[in-house]
Amino acid sequence: MLCEARVWRSLLKRAPRSASNQTSTSSKPIFRNPHKASISCSYSTLPSNSGETPLSALHPLPEESEWKRVFSPPASPLILRERISIRNPKTARALAEGFTNWTKPFLKADEAMGRGRAAKGAPKILIEAFPGPGALTRALLTLPRDTFDRLLVLENHPAYLDYLKPLEQIDDRVKVIPYSGYSWDTYSMLEEQGWLDDVPKIPWDDGVHPSLHFISHVPLSVVGEQLMNQFLRCIPDKAWLFKYGRVPLNLITGEWVWKRSSAGPMESARCKLSVIADATAELSLTLPQERLLPYVEHFHPLVHTAGKPSKKPVGRKVGHPMVGVSILPHEDQAIGVAMLEKWDYCLRRLFVLKGQSLKVAIGSLAPGAQSLLKPLTDPSLPPEQRLDMNKQIRRLDIRDWALIIRAFNNWPFAPEDLLIHDTYNPGSRGGMHE
Amino acid sequence: MSKPAGQSDATGSEDMQSFLNRSTSFTLLPTPLPPDHNSHLHDLYFIDSVTQDSLAVIDACLHNCYDVSRAKQIFETLRKSPKAEVVLDIRLYNSLLESFIAMATSKDIDNRLIWLEDACTLFNSMETGMEVAVPNATTYAIMFSTWLSFNPKSSQPILPSDIGMREPPALLRGLVDRQIPVSHIVASRSISSDKEAADIIKLLSKTAVDMNLVSVVDELGRTQALGNSLFPDPLRDVPEAMPVLRPKEYDPTLGEPFDPNDPDQQEIPFNLEVLRKQLGQLALARRVLPDDVASRQKLLEDSVYEEAAERLKHQAEVFDKLGLGDGSLRGSHLQSWMWEWHQKLQKRLKIEIADVVKKEEAIVDSKANSRLGPFLSLVSPDKLSLITILELMRLQGSGGVSEGMKTARALLTIGRAIELEHKSEICRRNNITIPTSNPQTGPGYFTKSGYRDLHARRVAARKFMEDSEEWAATWTQILRVKVGSFLVDALMDVATVVRSTTIKQTGEIVYEEQPAFFHSYEYLRGHKLGVVRLNPEVAERMSRDGLRETLHPRQLPMLVKPKPWLSYDQGGYFYSQSSAMRFKESQEQQSYLKHASDQGNLELVYAGLDVLGSTPWQVNQKVFDVVLKVWNSGERMCKIPPAVYDAPEPEKPENYEADPKARMVYLARQKAWSQGKANNHSGRCSVNYKVEIARAFLGDQIYLPHNMDFRGRAYPIPPHLNHIGDDLSRGLLLFAEAKPLGASGLRWLKIHLANLCGFDKGSFDERAQFVDDHLADIYDSAERPLEGNRWWQKAEDPWQCLAACMELRSALESPDPLAFESNFPVHQDGTCNGLQHYAALGGDSQGAQQVNLGATDRPSDVYSYVAAMVQERIKSDAAKQVRFAMMLEGKITRKVVKQTVMTTVYGVTFVGARDQIEKQLKERKDIPEEECWLVASYLAKKVMECIGNLFSGAQEIQTWLNICARLISKSIPPARIPAAVSAPQKKRKTSATDSTKDEQMTSVIWTTPLGLPIVQPYRRAKKKQVATSIQTVYISDPNAPATVNSVKQASAFPPNFIHSLDATHMMLTALECQTQGLTFASVHDSYWTHACSVDQMSGIIRDTFIALHSSNILGKLHDEFVERYKGYRVPIAWLKSGTLVKQLAAREHTTSDEILNSAAQRDSVEPKEVGPHTSTEDLLEALDLALGSEEDLEEDEPQEREVTPTEAKTETEGSGDTGPAVSKRKKRRTREEMKASYPLGLGDELKFVELTKLLPTVPKKGNFEVNTVKKSLYFFS
Repeated sequence: MLCEARVWRSLLKRAPRSASNQTSTSSKPIFRNPHKASISCSYSTLPSNSGETPLSALHPLPEESEWKRVFSPPASPLILRERISIRNPKTARALAEGFTNWTKPFLKADEAMGRGRAAKGAPKILIEAFPGPGALTRALLTLPRDTFDRLLVLENHPAYLDYLKPLEQIDDRVKVIPYSGYSWDTYSMLEEQGWLDDVPKIPWDDGVHPSLHFISHVPLSVVGEQLMNQFLRCIPDKAWLFKYGRVPLNLITGEWVWKRSSAGPMESARCKLSVIADATAELSLTLPQERLLPYVEHFHPLVHTAGKPSKKPVGRKVGHPMVGVSILPHEDQAIGVAMLEKWDYCLRRLFVLKGQSLKVAIGSLAPGAQSLLKPLTDPSLPPEQRLDMNKQIRRLDIRDWALIIRAFNNWPFAPEDLLIHDTYNPGSRGGMHE
Repeated sequence: MSKPAGQSDATGSEDMQSFLNRSTSFTLLPTPLPPDHNSHLHDLYFIDSVTQDSLAVIDACLHNCYDVSRAKQIFETLRKSPKAEVVLDIRLYNSLLESFIAMATSKDIDNRLIWLEDACTLFNSMETGMEVAVPNATTYAIMFSTWLSFNPKSSQPILPSDIGMREPPALLRGLVDRQIPVSHIVASRSISSDKEAADIIKLLSKTAVDMNLVSVVDELGRTQALGNSLFPDPLRDVPEAMPVLRPKEYDPTLGEPFDPNDPDQQEIPFNLEVLRKQLGQLALARRVLPDDVASRQKLLEDSVYEEAAERLKHQAEVFDKLGLGDGSLRGSHLQSWMWEWHQKLQKRLKIEIADVVKKEEAIVDSKANSRLGPFLSLVSPDKLSLITILELMRLQGSGGVSEGMKTARALLTIGRAIELEHKSEICRRNNITIPTSNPQTGPGYFTKSGYRDLHARRVAARKFMEDSEEWAATWTQILRVKVGSFLVDALMDVATVVRSTTIKQTGEIVYEEQPAFFHSYEYLRGHKLGVVRLNPEVAERMSRDGLRETLHPRQLPMLVKPKPWLSYDQGGYFYSQSSAMRFKESQEQQSYLKHASDQGNLELVYAGLDVLGSTPWQVNQKVFDVVLKVWNSGERMCKIPPAVYDAPEPEKPENYEADPKARMVYLARQKAWSQGKANNHSGRCSVNYKVEIARAFLGDQIYLPHNMDFRGRAYPIPPHLNHIGDDLSRGLLLFAEAKPLGASGLRWLKIHLANLCGFDKGSFDERAQFVDDHLADIYDSAERPLEGNRWWQKAEDPWQCLAACMELRSALESPDPLAFESNFPVHQDGTCNGLQHYAALGGDSQGAQQVNLGATDRPSDVYSYVAAMVQERIKSDAAKQVRFAMMLEGKITRKVVKQTVMTTVYGVTFVGARDQIEKQLKERKDIPEEECWLVASYLAKKVMECIGNLFSGAQEIQTWLNICARLISKSIPPARIPAAVSAPQKKRKTSATDSTKDEQMTSVIWTTPLGLPIVQPYRRAKKKQVATSIQTVYISDPNAPATVNSVKQASAFPPNFIHSLDATHMMLTALECQTQGLTFASVHDSYWTHACSVDQMSGIIRDTFIALHSSNILGKLHDEFVERYKGYRVPIAWLKSGTLVKQLAAREHTTSDEILNSAAQRDSVEPKEVGPHTSTEDLLEALDLALGSEEDLEEDEPQEREVTPTEAKTETEGSGDTGPAVSKRKKRRTREEMKASYPLGLGDELKFVELTKLLPTVPKKGNFEVNTVKKSLYFFS
């Protein structure tokens, strides 16, 4: 996310900082006043069917055969080639519906609707990141106005923007923000621009957030898993969008990332990400996976079968099966406030030895960490606070982890500097050759 | 430039010239075979790991007769294998004989007859020429002793005919026939006592008289006289003052073999030791060493571990006496910890080893390589223990791991240390007389007779050494790892420290016993990396407490002139084995070096290393005093890091938890801070070593033995304190000999001081003036270095500057400054030496001017020039509001770009340049930490653009070298062509290019003008997983063949080639300086001598450079390739994978099919070659495009690709020029189109082109005349 700092700063110089409705004389305003949008929201109270925008009314996407030429010409950068987007309009529609429907059972409707935007009769704000050419965006726009009244689209790739920007003209719910969903700055900007001013802060124990929802394609690159990880890791400290409450997320991501994030203690894919996911949120598939198979019928870009065999891992090859995932933050968070670093540290250290028993692995946590065995196995403790030291690291469940981290936290000799992600520093004592 | 008068110089350089023009003698070995193939020829040059392991097992089993039967059994197998010829040498035979006899004598008396019969059978087989090895003096000595012990009249009589024992006349006959002097029998290392020697003389005399061999009787008489003569016992007066090891209290119980206090050795009139020493002198006609230093050196290398143990014990006792005996406090001293661990570990090892041995005895399965017992029994448990502790402590901070080390390296190093200790025990037991270098006399290095003389002397000395050496085998990597892990595992189990901490909430102090070492894993770019870490408590101590216990003499300077290099693994330290070349895990390099040495191609290389090693140094006491004061104060000063890291820790922002962005920035800064702290710690440790060593050697004359890297660049072997090290190390060293300054010397001293201050851009007069203008500052610095105005600290090289200030002041204050005896080394540095060589190679006038090859009034500085160019561009970008340009404006100094400019000619990549620049920017500290990476990317691009066409001459040569290397690394030796042809048919599934890839085994090899073969080691070595008791480690087996990494072979060739040239230039200069009596030292392209000798050395530097570059270097390189790779062929399929064919067709106005058809015929093992109508010029261009970056792209780091194209686009569109990034994009596109239109034809995999026909012609030379260098003032300055 560092990479886009540059973009953000140059933006600061050009764009008006807040949504102070000035259509400036010198430079073109980049953003409209969000409050304008909220005026149009009153339409959304219309009966649902009449609120639906027919797909045909929307600015059309190119013919399928043209997608490759328009959106991923041969020399496009790697980062773009690894961005997977929905191509099939029917699938897009199915996902759009799935994404917007699943939270309903979790809403504490009577209470939540009585506050904030809902009180004013305004339903939801959707944020869509990495829309790509916009098939999903279009599918969302076919949904009735009572589903959502504002769609903030985060996209910075010019070829995609050409097909997203026109949507603003057709549906006033749309606002295209020409910056990447990958950069934290983009979200700070959303706030500073006032686009989220009317989002109520809903207490964590007050159910799922009724009026903010985040949707995103997740790139297939290594960034993808990172992104999933980052979103989840914002939950415990209620950072990012979670400062507004238990905001639901929907991600379209590779099966590989899904498997890793949803793996339980008995599965072989169990990893750090699975534990973090386990600790922070409820993950489920929005649609049955078969609905999105085979890949070629639903997604862009198409697989290049020609050429050399790729050295990439299977999970990162274009053509890898995709899934739609629904994420709902837990009400009870296993990771306490400001404890994330300790969790990260212990997970990182111990998962290196995921096949080993805790008894063996715990020594590599820190020098002297063997002494943690005592508080974890002390017979004087009630059984639910004791740990089976013969359990393999990857078999540990959330309760086990919570105990380990608690013991680590109480240990006076626990290393304080948990921030260095790797103490390995090549070049600090270089070899003799240039 | 004043030149010494006289003819000798002129003829000297003529000799050198004709030496360099001679046809170089190449070392030609077969190209390694692909995995799973072998041939007899191949076996002759390359030993596989299984064989090496067998040898190691034999060695270990013979040691102390651990398991002689097993050794015999493995030996029998080896003897029958085709590898016998290469691996079995006479020393191994002798060891076997000795062990058989030892079994018969004491270990297995019950089976005496069988053992004796084994020995006699083996000997008889050797004697009758049935064996690979021919008996030598030691063999006969063993057989004579055997006779003495077991003849029918002895106390243990045996009938000779029962066991086939030869009688003395037969033995003597064999001896005489082989022309082995009887004196060598008497002096043989296998004779252990004076009495035995005397008995053998008696026996030999009687036999010789009986046989009427008058000359033998005479020789025996002389031998006896030598043995009886009065010769001072070399160890009688060993001085108490032991450097490093002082105070010395020698303990006679520690098993010192030649103990002067042992009365036995003095009572017996015949003194074997004296005989040996005298014989050594006679054999080598050498000058006698001053005994005291020689024996001090011996003791220094001898007893390191005993001494270390003594010191640790002593320290522990002192602490005890001081009443610090209670656990917690005592635990805070490194030495007493180490002593404690040592106590526990040796006990533990004793038990565990005994256990291992017992368990292994129970195993009947004779699988040779799985036993550890024999190897763990080679060295005593207390030594094993100490070696493990010391090596582990020493490795702390190595390999980029802070407060720890990589597990694989730790285990290998410890395994290797045990192996070396075993070898040096043997070496010390034999007490081999040390030949010392004799100063070069007579006809000079470069004449034919001089060269022959050198060769003859070295061979004689080597023979002498080998005859008197016991055999020891080299261990395989796996064995080292296994032994290492056994020891480290035990250590980790026993070594603990008591740590204390304060609980923040309560203020209560708590203690906990923790392991001193622990192991864990890190992830490094997705790879799991095992590390061993020190407990933070221990690591902390490493930067404060005395460290000398952890140093092996292998890491210390020597007290005597190093042993001259007698062979590739003989030289340098006396009793520790070192290699003349630092191999990069490459058996091929070792084989080439060994064979070049055997062929006598390396005399001047060895001589050069000897010259470098024989320069005497001393520690600069005045500077040392200042350093020590600063060190003890714990403050930061001039690159000495502070005891406590002094940078403020970044503050945690308030919105840290809630704002991911703020968190990210904070983490970046925090990480940089932690890194800084870790670096501070390792810097502190490194200075600690230097201070300790300097302190230990105060007042001593010291020597730095040298060896070289695989390109032939020389390096001092002691790693910590040497003249090649940092500013501090250099500031601490002076030449040991002083010479009067004279007028020119005084001037050079001043110029040198100006250079050290960074004032090196002006003319010499201006530099001298600069010093005159700052005399007050200089005096102040010299007199009150810490209390004064500290002018010296502002210098680029402060410690050297301080040393120079002190020297200049002393000179000026002396009664006659011109007569002042100065031992200060003055440097002459090449100004961008790589480019100098390129300019001379290409005859590039413009380039030559840039790097001061031409005659000018003022030095030209290419770094400042580039910095100015970059600054210009930044300025214009800044005007366009480019953010990074605005951040960088006014910050582009010479220093920021220097490394990148320098390394451009060595082929630095964008990624490399970015990292270099990022480092410089971070050092400046005026750019926010988290921005440095992006800013560096931007700046690196600018710098590389600016350099772009500046050195076009260099670029052309680089390209030529690169293409040659690409072709070579893609070629297949003639013998493998049939296999390569049949390969694709076997594996139909894979594509044609892949299937033949197994055959890609040819590395780029060339010979330097001095005769050194240079082998590029880059191969796709497969790492092997070895499970140890600690961790699973990945190690590569240097003996296992692997295909070449052709991308690396090609990209590394230009820089390696230039380095081989600068190394040659340095060696020539060293030899010539030695001839002319100058003291010389070098740091690659920085040459050092006394101030008064600078003018003379300057002349030499220029003469050697001219001689070197007048010898048609590139032409000879081309010729060598043609000879070396004769008959090698390149598969068409590999050529076709680029755009070569299409380019070729376009140039030849024909179709690609025609070219390919004329080039090769399908299914033909002896294909036709590419038609002669193809001009190499065209090929060169074609190849450039074709092979240019196909594979580079494939293997680029992805991040580089992600960033460059987009940014390149936005930036170049604006300025309208075509930067490198854009052309790369174009290239890629063209290539893709090409590939589409030229798919591989059917059967292409069966076609080949002869390599030598493809090699492009040598680039034409420009009109720069290298002789001009003579007139250049600033060439080296």
